[in-house]
Amino acid sequence: MENESKRYMAPGKHVLMGNVAMAEGAMAAGLTFFGGYPITPSTEVPEHLVWRLPEAGGAFIQMEDELAAINSVAGASVAGAKAMTATSGPGTSLMAETISMAAAMEIPLVICDVQRNGPGTGLVTAPHHNDVFQCKYSGNGEYEVIAYAPMSCQELYDLTIEAFNAAETYRCPTYVLSDAYLGHLHEPVVIPTAEEVKKLVVARAILDKPNQEKFTFLDREGNIQIPPAPVLGTPNFPTTFISQPHGPDGIPVNEDQVLKPNTLLVEKITKNVEKIARTEAYMLDDAEVVIIAYGLTARVCYHVVNLARKEGLKAGLFRLVTIWPFPYERVKSVVAGAKAIVVPEMNLGLMAGEVERCKPLAMPMYKVPKIADIHEPGEILAVVRKAKEAHP
Amino acid sequence: MSPQITTFPNEKPEHPVTLLSMGGLMTGNFWSMFCGGCGYGIIFQLFDKVFVEEKLDPFKYPVIIGIGCYTQGNTLVPAASQRVTTLHGRAPAMATGIKLANPAMKPIILTGDGDCLGIGGNHFIHLCRRNLDSVVLLFNNSIYGMTGGQVAPTTPQGSSTMTTLGAVFENRLDGVKLALAAGATYVARTTVAHPRTFMHYLKKAIKHAGTSVIEVVTPCVTYFGRKNVNDASQRMDTGGLLLEWIKAHAVWNNQAKLLSEAELADKYVIGEFREEDRPEYSAEYEKVKKKAMEG
Repeated sequence: MENESKRYMAPGKHVLMGNVAMAEGAMAAGLTFFGGYPITPSTEVPEHLVWRLPEAGGAFIQMEDELAAINSVAGASVAGAKAMTATSGPGTSLMAETISMAAAMEIPLVICDVQRNGPGTGLVTAPHHNDVFQCKYSGNGEYEVIAYAPMSCQELYDLTIEAFNAAETYRCPTYVLSDAYLGHLHEPVVIPTAEEVKKLVVARAILDKPNQEKFTFLDREGNIQIPPAPVLGTPNFPTTFISQPHGPDGIPVNEDQVLKPNTLLVEKITKNVEKIARTEAYMLDDAEVVIIAYGLTARVCYHVVNLARKEGLKAGLFRLVTIWPFPYERVKSVVAGAKAIVVPEMNLGLMAGEVERCKPLAMPMYKVPKIADIHEPGEILAVVRKAKEAHP
Repeated sequence: MSPQITTFPNEKPEHPVTLLSMGGLMTGNFWSMFCGGCGYGIIFQLFDKVFVEEKLDPFKYPVIIGIGCYTQGNTLVPAASQRVTTLHGRAPAMATGIKLANPAMKPIILTGDGDCLGIGGNHFIHLCRRNLDSVVLLFNNSIYGMTGGQVAPTTPQGSSTMTTLGAVFENRLDGVKLALAAGATYVARTTVAHPRTFMHYLKKAIKHAGTSVIEVVTPCVTYFGRKNVNDASQRMDTGGLLLEWIKAHAVWNNQAKLLSEAELADKYVIGEFREEDRPEYSAEYEKVKKKAMEG
């Protein structure tokens, strides 16, 4: 059941709250199931979707806890729905178990993580980019995820559509990492027409014929190719759909055969980094001080680069639009010609560790940590000046 | 790749439904990897029989399986059925998503006592509370079998397990009472020693619109029987002895009314406990959806 007339928002310029823009982005991407559990600061997402989804023919449910929420999302995705949940840091940690399962079973799903301060309960209304590692490393086992880090309400809309496409294409848990400030920011968002949106969206591929070659969900001999996700209730569903390591037919494998399926789960993402990773370069060509940032912090850094350039400091910004999979090669080439790196983050320096893996050993790197609040441009600019003075 | 069919010319199928399951297809026997004396073989044979007799559409009745010994029943349910193996305890939550995403389906949830009443207790309660159209088969073997005989929420008081020093003194959880309190609309309990009753209940549950919970008391010889004794102080290390014990401790609900609470403490009250029609979640949600789509 699908009511297309009500699925898409009227095209044009709207003033939307970040969380609402994210919900509308999901609607545009073809969301048909939302299972959630209320948690500050993400509550506006379910509050918006509770009426938006049913009128477009989708289903909304508030589950009993986050464990149930993510499992209902995984179940709906197995049954052919485009499904997502919205949560915050504590919720994401509860979901870790199922996210790991979804990675193993290659169930496409989207998790909107409106990050808040932690650890523990933390300051619930304060932003803190502290889930950047949790989203990838919280579940058991080795697996890869895709994570987008938008910096404006417009991007919350656009990148949520992209996140759904990535989830469908690569069949892995995909995150949209917002935060408490961004989620509650009201900004103009330009909504494209329904026709334009439809062109962007990757639909769920349903194989109508029982085709043994195609229904296999780990059959990637030689070149890595990702077959469409099997849909429950269609003839292409595998013999058994299980989160244990499995062969091409879905039947669990033994210790001596487990290497291949587990490697493929990781390599389907790591070998496609160039296709998945999205980055932005701003004034990098002659930059001596390279700022590497993501999320809301990156937005401040654009201004910092402008201020620095006015002072004659050759600063440039390399922005990670997707933080996972981490584009190691790109970062390596960006920092190669720099004299110093500045990594401002809305945490104590988590992704700085990943940047450190890409830079030459001798190259100086300055962290600019900030917790529970957004950076003042001056704070980052001061570090840029310091870096330039120390390494002229 | 289709399952390879090995035929044993001199061997006749043990049961008319043998060749229905994936294990049966592959070996020609009613194949299972359960211990000797386990009740799951019986349950799955009966389940297959009902599946065929009721002519259930495999696309409409997905089998959602939790984690426990019965997860291996994956190979014993009809080969044509579509089954999803979930995480420990999360089967009811996943079934909720499946049902809402495709309301034409009716998930059949296979779950155990540790899975459903221990780790997944909350999901089970809320599945019953929503009265979501689904069938829950709760296999109660009173022990954590797959991990090696640890105490379960359903272990009777006075039993011996691997993780209790001396006898169990915790109160045991009654799955049927929990389902009744949570609001399931068809609730029954039976044992593997009552196969026809089980088939009868399962057929009713499949036709019932709403959450149906059937608890099946099943023997675990390896980890419960071997460590415990029956009333004659005999170690219950064979399937027969444990099955006899279950039979002796099963009391029909009409007879149970005549017994005192102390007498019922170590008994399994069997029978049907509730059968009523109440609004079902996904049907109600479809109404909401229809109104939203029109309005």
